Amino acid sequence: MEKYDSIWDMYRKKGISRRSFIKTCTAMTALLGLAPTMLPKVVEAAEKRLPVVIWLHGHECTGCSEAFIRSGAPMTSDVILNMIALEYDDTLSAASGEPFEHHLQEVIKEYKGKYILAVEGAVPPDASGGYCMVGGKSFLEQIKEVADGAAAVIAYGTCAAWGGIQAARPNPTQAVSISDVIKNKPIINVPGCPPIPEVMTGVIAHYAMFGELPPLDNKNCPKQFYGNRIHDTCYRRPFFDAGMFANDFNDAGAKAGWCLYKLGCRGPETYASCGSMRWWNGLSYPIQSGHGCIGCTSKNFWDNDPFYQRLPEVAGLGLGNIDKIGAVATGALAVGITAHLATSAVQKKKRDKKEAEKIKQALEEQDRQSKRKD
Amino acid sequence: MKRVVVDPVTRIEGHLRVEVEVDESTGKVNDAISSGTAWRGLETIVKNRDPRDAWAYIQRICGVCTTAHALGAVRAVEDALEIKIPKNAHYIRNIMAATLTVHDHTVHFYHLHALDWVSPIEALKADPAATAALQNTVLSKYKINIKPAAGFNFSAYPKDFPKGTTAYYEAIKGKVQQLIDSKQLGIFAANWWDHPAYKTLPPEVHLMAVSHYLNMLDKQREIVIPHVIFGGKNPHPHYVVGGMSCAISLNDMNAPVNSQRLAAVDTAIATTSALANEFYVPDVLAIAHIHAQNGSAVDGGGLAKTRVLGFGAYPDEPVASHRDFAAACLIRCDGVVENFGQGVAAAQFTELTGKDLEDSAVITESAEHAWYKDDEALHPWAGKTEPNYTGDKAGNKEKWENLDEDHKYSWVKTPTWRGKVCEVGPLSRYIIVYTKVKKGIIKPNWAEQIMMDQIEHVSQLLNLPAEKWMPSTAGRTIARALDAQLSAALEKYFFDKLIKNIGAGDTNIANTLKWDPSSWGNGEYKGVGLYEAPRGALSHWIVIKDKKVKNYQAVVPTTWNACPRDDKAGQGAYELSMMDTNVQVPDKPLEIVRAVRSFDPCLACAAHVYNTEKKTLSVISTDPYIGSGKI
Repeated sequence: MEKYDSIWDMYRKKGISRRSFIKTCTAMTALLGLAPTMLPKVVEAAEKRLPVVIWLHGHECTGCSEAFIRSGAPMTSDVILNMIALEYDDTLSAASGEPFEHHLQEVIKEYKGKYILAVEGAVPPDASGGYCMVGGKSFLEQIKEVADGAAAVIAYGTCAAWGGIQAARPNPTQAVSISDVIKNKPIINVPGCPPIPEVMTGVIAHYAMFGELPPLDNKNCPKQFYGNRIHDTCYRRPFFDAGMFANDFNDAGAKAGWCLYKLGCRGPETYASCGSMRWWNGLSYPIQSGHGCIGCTSKNFWDNDPFYQRLPEVAGLGLGNIDKIGAVATGALAVGITAHLATSAVQKKKRDKKEAEKIKQALEEQDRQSKRKD
Repeated sequence: MKRVVVDPVTRIEGHLRVEVEVDESTGKVNDAISSGTAWRGLETIVKNRDPRDAWAYIQRICGVCTTAHALGAVRAVEDALEIKIPKNAHYIRNIMAATLTVHDHTVHFYHLHALDWVSPIEALKADPAATAALQNTVLSKYKINIKPAAGFNFSAYPKDFPKGTTAYYEAIKGKVQQLIDSKQLGIFAANWWDHPAYKTLPPEVHLMAVSHYLNMLDKQREIVIPHVIFGGKNPHPHYVVGGMSCAISLNDMNAPVNSQRLAAVDTAIATTSALANEFYVPDVLAIAHIHAQNGSAVDGGGLAKTRVLGFGAYPDEPVASHRDFAAACLIRCDGVVENFGQGVAAAQFTELTGKDLEDSAVITESAEHAWYKDDEALHPWAGKTEPNYTGDKAGNKEKWENLDEDHKYSWVKTPTWRGKVCEVGPLSRYIIVYTKVKKGIIKPNWAEQIMMDQIEHVSQLLNLPAEKWMPSTAGRTIARALDAQLSAALEKYFFDKLIKNIGAGDTNIANTLKWDPSSWGNGEYKGVGLYEAPRGALSHWIVIKDKKVKNYQAVVPTTWNACPRDDKAGQGAYELSMMDTNVQVPDKPLEIVRAVRSFDPCLACAAHVYNTEKKTLSVISTDPYIGSGKI
């Protein structure tokens, strides 16, 4: 097994030149949103040490940490021992209490501007409400302090990315997402309740392999994992197209693995890798196990209930009740779906165009930077 | 007298703070407080929603005991609506419950609790060759051979054994050395590694345990495969009210469950058994044995000596009502055992029937020392409370110094049985079954016989009677390992039943007769879902009215154990366990966090709120559609 002490060490062993290494560091500096003057520090960090990660827990259920340790490729042990230095994490760290908090302060100081902050959970924004206290102070204060010195923030899970379950109505603690309280840092949203394990570690693997953050879409989600709708990658899609549906969890359609759309499946509006990557190295995903998708990567999906009502009947999508559109149910279905598909396609096109522009700009900037350096 | 604060207590689920008053000359803990420091209000969020959706919201109480709350929720709804689920769904739910138990215990021991016992720094002093020899000794000396129910077994031999070679331990030692040399200790940074308690075990045990820590980090994911097959993912697999969603067909590869998918579950169960039998149980017993010989970690019993409670586990066949639950259970740990610490003869057993659960004099929760307004003790179906956060002793709300043990100091409430606090968990289950069998109240079935044999084996090994070693910090940790081994056997048992039932031609997976809410009527329906979760007795209480959730409450194991004191009932299990623990170095209270972690704390589960009839919480709309006038 190859062991790398640092990113530079890894480059050297792979026979990649010093020049390319510096170039990557330059790109990293740009992508992390740091001033060009920070480049020497990024080079120093990449030369000497594993990237430092501080993992904070707010209003959460620790399901994202559990998902993280289910990763099969890369293996979790390789991630936390060879890809990153996980210097602070409530769930896995050995230390407790005061020495643990002291260590956090030391790490923040030593790696200022260089560490990655991973956050699991939402933030209750009222510090005096006492809704989430860590080390005797509010989580809001902790996250603001740690984010201040971070190079970038990874918001793991739907709670961190969008507010999640505790932000569902009536939102008793007024919980909000990370991007609602941290405004001046690059934030990578990795939604899901929880996200697929390999999506979580994939973000870090990408960083470890290419020395830069993965390309993001306009919601700051990594494109490779959130670019497709489950509906378009679903193995049951042919049944949808053929109009073959399960109407009941125990009927012949359910047993034959027909489409779950009529049982409330949110696949047609959910962007995630469940259909392509699936869970546990391709073993299954909710639809393959007979349950409709609940749309857990989508913003506000918890208030998009009831979950067993098919999509057009759910308030807000503006498509009306498909059964009432035409006299013949199947004909009406086709109309409803076509409308739905058309809407999604237009949205996707718009989104892609916007993203393409953003990337182009970033690349040009990167090019300018490297020309200046070389 | 010194007041020591540990906040955050790490390697647990959620946010926990403990404060202890230690007599520096004797190491005696005179007072201890346990505080849950976060509150999310999920039970408020599930209100007014479709009861068929409740499991998904409530499941998000916790992602560590993932499925525990989903199972509690579907059982509560089915109990309220009198829905009896098909046999296949029942067996599958039991397989998933047992899967969770083994997984949860395994990760708890190796990744959350182990570093209270072993240290990577000590491991550096180990001789790899001696460690390899030790590994073989541990396998031959500390394994417990159990007799699972007779059924078919496809597994030709145990596929997972610990590696016992010198080269392997040299490689692990090299990795630990590299971490320390790099000055980036990562997850191993900043602990009290110089604490004398780490010297109790020889270096070779440390190296063996650290290597298993790493090995199990990669292996534990294989345990959860049944969740992925039957529930689509893990954490947070899917359930449905009335059964499961994983339809069964032996005619179709597109079906969620068919022969190939079942074979994948069988293979995962074989792996699970091997991990419990060859790694977990021998490792825990080897460590506990050395500590017992040293006289350490056999304190911390606390409330376990005086009162433990259970609901019963693994109903053998589906039941339609909570009143039939305990009678159907394969593990008859239903009831309360008092004074076990004085031996079985002096211990008293009191039954806890399904009817008792409905009685407002039997199960109640109070908030005298919790940050809620209503202090009175109320039955879960009738509770009402609103948050009343008062900050610390000096009234500081954003930055605490010391919490106020005389008033309110936690987001966790205090549940009681007949006005008394109780400990729950795997240890409680073992104490209750052991007491009932020894007193002749029940005749052990095959599964309970495994429990009796395991207890007997450990008593002989440690050379201590059950009433001495069981109620202790080490006892809690051992009981969890034994429970993992038992649960792996139960996974296999229910898998066999599933295969036989499908083989007999039954492919029903869900009872959908009452799926449509129009079949329910508009009245009020009350239900309770019971489940012996990995951390102990769990009950979910629901009131359904006009087809919506009117009230939802979860009385969870960590609420029982981590609760703040009650002026009449006294202190809860965490606090009493800490007070029953001797502290060697007051500034580094390793024994305290070890005692607390022996409960496997799960704080997201513990802190919750009752129905708030006169709620004054501020409400903000996160639903983009509310404002649009579309609903």
